[in-house]
Amino acid sequence: MAVDKNMRILVVDDAQTMRRIVVNLLRQLGFTNMVEADDGTTAWERLSSEHVDFIVSDWNMPKMTGIDLLKKVRESEKYKATPFIMVTAEGKRENVIAAVQAGVSNYIVKPFNAATLKEKLTKVVGDF
Amino acid sequence: MTKMSLTERIAMLEASQKGDMVPAQQVWDLVDSVKEMFGQKKGGLHATSQLFHELGELAKYINAAKKELKDVQNSNLADQHFPNATNHLDAIVQMTEQATSKIMDECDRLNMFHNDMRERLINMDPPLDPNVLAGVDDAITQAQTSITHVFEACNFQDITVQRIQKVVKALQEIERQVLRMVLVFGLQENDDKLDAKTKEELKHEAELLNGPQLAGQGLEQDDIDAILSKLL
Repeated sequence: MAVDKNMRILVVDDAQTMRRIVVNLLRQLGFTNMVEADDGTTAWERLSSEHVDFIVSDWNMPKMTGIDLLKKVRESEKYKATPFIMVTAEGKRENVIAAVQAGVSNYIVKPFNAATLKEKLTKVVGDF
Repeated sequence: MTKMSLTERIAMLEASQKGDMVPAQQVWDLVDSVKEMFGQKKGGLHATSQLFHELGELAKYINAAKKELKDVQNSNLADQHFPNATNHLDAIVQMTEQATSKIMDECDRLNMFHNDMRERLINMDPPLDPNVLAGVDDAITQAQTSITHVFEACNFQDITVQRIQKVVKALQEIERQVLRMVLVFGLQENDDKLDAKTKEELKHEAELLNGPQLAGQGLEQDDIDAILSKLL
């Protein structure tokens, strides 16, 4: 099945620089419909008020962390099957296990490049 | 037997990887060295004084380093005042974020210019030779790939900030623990020189340092300077 390049991707990170990098790399990969949130709480508000097809979220954020957002997403009827990629600067084994247990679709350790992002997206949604 | 230093003896024991095979005499020599180091042979008070002196030097060094850091920041941001490490961190975050943002702005502009250039070349009248057009298009694509690599490299900002946060946290903890030890040893060392009021104040400050610092309850730079001047 062909990947819809117009699917709505929510990019969540408290660092504006990182959001911009992720959005730019997604654009380079051909995706056109990205929205942003600066922490888990804002992301959840967006998810509640509009439809999102894919989530790329940082782990370390104020108010609501990426792992808490992931748990909330997986508990919701609407988003329990929505692809969720976790991005983090810490490649700790226990964090990866916690994310997998919470239902993460894939995991990216910073710093990363467009090729890594493409590889992880392909594993989650298929070739594009 | 040739007299070895403590470091040499520890290195030898570690190198052997089998403590049970080390001759008993060597173990006794090591114990003697440790006892000597802590003043058992020369008197316990001497070791305590020496340790207190060393801790004092370490506390002074940390204090001086913090002041040097403040001087560096003052020369760059003369009109701002940063009273503690957290503010130093915020300044670094702000500066790297601004610089990264500027780099990414320029990358976006370059991408825009390249797209515009491609559009103009495609729509030229009379049209460009298809081979030339293909060559230019390829060059533009390569330039845009390089721009993507610049974006990727901007990852450094977030990683740098997270690492600095961890280093600052570790340094704050070391400083707190060293200062607490200076206070504890200092109270013992200066027991007969300090008046009751000063002793109570210093005990209270040692208690403040015996746990995570809470906002508004920790010691400020002036408090630390006062403690060091009373005890060292």
